[in-house]
Formats: sequence, structure tokens, C-alpha cells
Amino acid sequence: MLILAFDTATSSSTVALVHDGVTLGERVAASRALLEAADALLNDAGVVPAELDGVACGIGPGSFTGVRIGLAHARGLALALGVPVAGVSTLAALAQGALGVAPAGCVVVPVVDARRKEVFALVDGVEVCVPPADLAFPAGAWLVGDGAVRYRDVLEARGAAVPPDESPLHLPRGGAHVALAAAYGPVDEVLPAYLRAPDAKTIAERGAA
Amino acid sequence: MILGLETSCDETAAALVTADGRLLASIVATQTELHAQYGGVVPEIASRRHLELVAPVVREALQQARAGLDDIRAVAVTQGPGLIGALLVGVASAKAFAWARRLPLIPVDHLLGHVSSLYLQPLAAEPPFLCLLASGGHTMLLDVQEPTRYTVLGQTLDDAAGEAFDKGARLLGLAYPGGVEIDRLARQGDPEAYSFPVARVPGLDFSFSGLKTSLLYATRDLPPAELERRRSDLAASYQRAIVRALSERIVLAAERTGASQVAVVGGVAANSELRASLPAGALLAPLALCTDNAAMIASAARFLPELPYPQYLSLDAYAAA
Repeated sequence: MLILAFDTATSSSTVALVHDGVTLGERVAASRALLEAADALLNDAGVVPAELDGVACGIGPGSFTGVRIGLAHARGLALALGVPVAGVSTLAALAQGALGVAPAGCVVVPVVDARRKEVFALVDGVEVCVPPADLAFPAGAWLVGDGAVRYRDVLEARGAAVPPDESPLHLPRGGAHVALAAAYGPVDEVLPAYLRAPDAKTIAERGAA
Repeated sequence: MILGLETSCDETAAALVTADGRLLASIVATQTELHAQYGGVVPEIASRRHLELVAPVVREALQQARAGLDDIRAVAVTQGPGLIGALLVGVASAKAFAWARRLPLIPVDHLLGHVSSLYLQPLAAEPPFLCLLASGGHTMLLDVQEPTRYTVLGQTLDDAAGEAFDKGARLLGLAYPGGVEIDRLARQGDPEAYSFPVARVPGLDFSFSGLKTSLLYATRDLPPAELERRRSDLAASYQRAIVRALSERIVLAAERTGASQVAVVGGVAANSELRASLPAGALLAPLALCTDNAAMIASAARFLPELPYPQYLSLDAYAAA
């Protein structure tokens, strides 16, 4: 299975070409430069898009626009190639990436910048959106992701271990998405995980306020 | 054939057009009802909906045209102007589609798209002509010299004509989008019942912001029962003022440029009074092609340079013209 895996939900987008679970190449790019990076990867590997068997895409949570850019690319690819798509939680992919790197027994908490002074995090298997000061984790836990980097000071003061800013542990990397992809299916069923409602009130809600 | 995609505002649309301008399929998934409960388009909600609809509209267009993927020779997409988050859904989908099949991509300006609704068969209009583009976001007079080349002779200094309809409708207690509602109600009313002045601005520009203030003054002191009784007269008079401002400027611009053909495109071109007020022989696209659609985007693409693979990989959307 040749899979193109990408995640554009966080501040650094990633794209990887994965063959039978082995990453052939991967790149970091801005979300809007995703296709250039993917093109370079395929060219380096000497393959063309028509040879892809599937797409694995991060579904967030993260930047709303970033999440949509990834999923819109997935839709274009699925339509054009007729390949199935798997959606993978960006938080789960971050946690997966730290497996085997963090010390044994150490709790890993993926933390993504949610803007508005909040973070998205995976706590005990539940995706939450909280201010970093309210994020629950045991002392000594490893916190990874762009949210952990942005709020390093407040999180470290509360006993977290945050890898250096430039550590690849803060990137949701495609190999993790492929490892986690449970099922590849119709792209219409791969939906974004926004975790936050749009900031708008209906006329009825405005009248009630 | 060319696959067109349009996601600049609140319509998710796909279309298939042949190289000689025959429309094989045009699918428009409107979000109007979704945004009506908010009284206007909410950008984040529009962007979310585009993502859900973009693949289904392409599939439906292929079905309607009884075409397959191999029939698509190029992909055209609205690059801007519009809501940036909404545009990005279309641009990312179109780029990925084109890249996957090694097809050329044709980025299209939304305004040129509206003008290009006139180039589709059977109308197949040919420049030069004078064109009024009037929609919820734009009001401009264009001197169209070639299919993809025009100069802007005038534009609105404040509200767009479609915006004036929407705001007026809100003052009259009508549903969003306002243009359709006012048009419907105006047919039962007296357009001379009220005099709503339209600001006289120099040259060929427009101004509609004072108009809605006049309507506000006319309506704010009316008891509900009285407003109800006069609503159709108010709608008819308000519509008359907008239409008069638009049609006067068209005539004036035609005189100044010596244009022998005039055209109206954009959502406001669907207004029945505006259509009736135009000189005989005016170029008008079918109603379905007045509001946002992808057929006009694919139509414009026929006259624009193609970006071959891989020149479009870094192509980005733009919000403002």
C-alpha cells in the first residue's frame, strides 16, 4: 500500500509518502505549500500520483483553515484518483509520534494551539479545549505539539516536560497517521474535528440575549 | 471539457463546459438557508459547508453530463476575490485534483467569471460591450473590450446593489436574501408611493448607503400594522430607486463609451424590474447563471492561459481584488 499522508492542522504542516508502513520520505511545509512538498516527495521516490493506493489525512483539531486545507486536498485527490481516504486525529498522531521516544511509563499529552489563549489536548482519551493553565496532566508528563511549544512557560512551571522547540516530536508526522489509520473509505465520511463551534449567533439567539 | 469549481461565498458549485462554450452540467449547492438564520453569510460556517459539499457537487456534475474523469481536460477554479477561507476550499480541492491527474489548472477571477456567464452558448456574447456587474458584493460598470480584458468605468463607493437589497429587506422585516423577497413583494406595490433619493455621485460611480437610511426613516416610526399595510409599496419604491440608479448609469456609460451592446451580470441581474428596464437587445444570462455558479468560471477559463503542471502547485487564493 502506497499512502500519501499529511496533516495541515498545526502551525507546521507535514506530508509523508509511506509504503507498507515504511516512510519513504517526508517534508515539513506551510499548509498552502502542501502540494509542492507532496510533488517533491513523489518525484524523489520516482512515483506518480496515479500509483497512490490511498490518502491518510489529519482531521484536527487545530487551525480551522489549516484543517480544511488538508481535507480539501484529500477530497481533490480522492475524486481524481478514486482512492479511499482515512482520517486520523491530529492529537492521536502527535501522541503516536512520541511512542518509544518518551521514557517508559511516562505519560505523553499531545497539545495543539487552539488560538484564543486555549489549547486542544488529548487527556485520558478525550479531546478537550482548555486554557493551558487548566490542562490536566501528571507531573513529569511529556507535552508535545505546537500548543506545548507556545505555552512552554506556563506548562513547564506546572511540572510538564516539553521537548526543545525544534524537536520533531512537535510535528504530527505522516508515519503516525498511517500507523493509526483504522479504515480507508469514502472521502465524504472523513470529516474535520473542529472541537469548537463557529463564532456566530443566529437572529433568534441575538434576540434572546 | 473543463471542470469548473466556485466556492468564493455561499454557493458550492461545480460545472462542466466544453471548449466551444456548451454547458454540459452546472451544479450549485446553495447555503442560503443555512445563513438565513444568521441574517447574512457567516464566513466560518460557509467554509465548513464548502468542505462538505465540494466533492458531492463535482460527482453530481459528472453524472449530469454523463461524463467520466478522463473527459476532463483542465480544471478551472475561482481564485478570488471572496471569503478567503471559502476560496481556499475550492483552490485546494482543484489543485489536488489537477495535480493527481497531471491536468493544467486555470485560476479565474470571480468578477471576470460573472462577465463570462455571457460567453456560454446559446447566448455566446462577443465583446465589445458595456457590462453592469451587480451582486451582493460588487457593483461596477465595465467596458469589456475582449473576453478577458475590461476597464472599470465606475463602481460603488459604499454598499453593493445586492447589499442594498439585503439591508432594505431587513428593515422591512423580510427574510434573507433580500433581493428575491423585495422583487416578489414589489410586484404588488406602488413604486411611486414613496420617493427614495439615490445619491448623485460624480462620474459613473454609485452610492447606495443613503438609500437605506431613507428607508430607515420611512419605516422606523410606523406601527407594526401600518408597516405591514405599506410594506409592498415600500418594497416597490425602494426597488424602483435601486433599479433607476443602475439603469441610468448604464445608459450614461453607454453614451460615453459609444457602446452598441449593454449587458447585466451578477445576482442583481436576476431582478425582474431591472431586466425589464434595460434597452431591447440587452445581453442577459439565464437566471441560473446570474447568481454565483461554476459554469461562468469554466466559461472564463476558455479564454485564459492554462497553467501547466507543476506551475500551479504554489497557487494561492486572494480575498481582495
